[in-house]
Amino acid sequence: MTLLTRIFWLALRDLTLELRGRTGLLAAVFFLFTMLLILGLALGPNQDDLRKAAPGVLWVALAFAGSLLAGRAFGLEVEDNTLDDLLLVPGSREWLYYGKLLFQLLLLLIVGGALLFLTAGLFYLPLSALPGILVTLVLGSIGYASVSTFYAGMLARLRGREALLPLVLFPVVVPVVLASVKATASLVEGLPLGEVFNWWQLLLVFDVIYVTLCGLLFPYVLEG
Amino acid sequence: MSPLLEAQSLSKRYGRDWVIRGLDFRLEPGEVVALLGPNGVGKTTLLRLLAGLMRASGGRVARQGRVGLLANPPAFHRHFTGEENLSYALRLEGRSPQPGAIAAALQAVGLPPGKAVLGYSSGMKKRLAMARLRLQRPDIWLLDEPEAALDAQGRELLEALILEAKSAGGVVLATHDRGWVQRLATRTLELSPAV
Repeated sequence: MTLLTRIFWLALRDLTLELRGRTGLLAAVFFLFTMLLILGLALGPNQDDLRKAAPGVLWVALAFAGSLLAGRAFGLEVEDNTLDDLLLVPGSREWLYYGKLLFQLLLLLIVGGALLFLTAGLFYLPLSALPGILVTLVLGSIGYASVSTFYAGMLARLRGREALLPLVLFPVVVPVVLASVKATASLVEGLPLGEVFNWWQLLLVFDVIYVTLCGLLFPYVLEG
Repeated sequence: MSPLLEAQSLSKRYGRDWVIRGLDFRLEPGEVVALLGPNGVGKTTLLRLLAGLMRASGGRVARQGRVGLLANPPAFHRHFTGEENLSYALRLEGRSPQPGAIAAALQAVGLPPGKAVLGYSSGMKKRLAMARLRLQRPDIWLLDEPEAALDAQGRELLEALILEAKSAGGVVLATHDRGWVQRLATRTLELSPAV
């Protein structure tokens, strides 16, 4: 129970700090809006073309926004030099990973929700596909956030971490992004739900592996 | 009685430069050990090694009890108020602050309520760090130049805190102020450059 409480308080604390500071979240939302607008203008105005491109656009935008947000998990600690205080909390350090993961996941879901709303409007996504896309968004975001949080922690004390993070992150999250694009495309095309389930199962497997493995390895990568 | 801290053959190097080499150290309950030595001799490094915040190049450290660190300068989230920083520090340890305990701790160190840390001076941050340690009540108190940036009243508060820490556990403090620390320390450890 204490572990879950700590995870909750850390995520809540970070979300409060992020909303007060605003820089990371605002930058990601502005970036997404600009990207979607440019892609919409470049690929349009044919509705069918836009709808076909929507799954790829949605996940490429989310992947880029995710890499912008990934640094926030530990950027909050690095900016205020408070990482040591978290490391001094008694007990094992896995809770720190899961608290930061929850924070990162909440950020991605906030941005992903806004992104889905914009994409649905600009790229003519069928309304019937939206609940399924929301499920895909949650599953894909868990996989993405689990890896990005791990690497953000590993690189937290390094100079040039903003440049390094996407380089190490993207090769590992490619399977998650691909499975998410395929699941979203199946939903947009109106394929049978059985086909979408296959991608969701794959995403779920990635999520379980990444979350477990990263949580176990995290205490070792944080040692100075 | 078993020691609160025991370091055996502790070593640390940055690249090829040894900062600490083969150090043996014990902290017994009720002790206040003052680390003395010139800048760059490894006082902060030793405190961080003892706290477990840094991987040693050699040797080992055994700790009996919780560690609390007063860093120099102390770190807090600047967009939070003093109360919020203290409240989250306790909650992240899995403890619920007693109603009024945080306000009382802030008042005890002479800090105003409701002010964001962004507007704190260095001395105020030191006072806030003292309030945090008092609320956390660790067994092993590691203080890195705790007297720096404090005014006369702040030093009095610090001395009271060190006496409190001495009765609650043990204290290791790094300082340059020999005259001040002579009155408080039960033992001094003079560090010299490692070769």
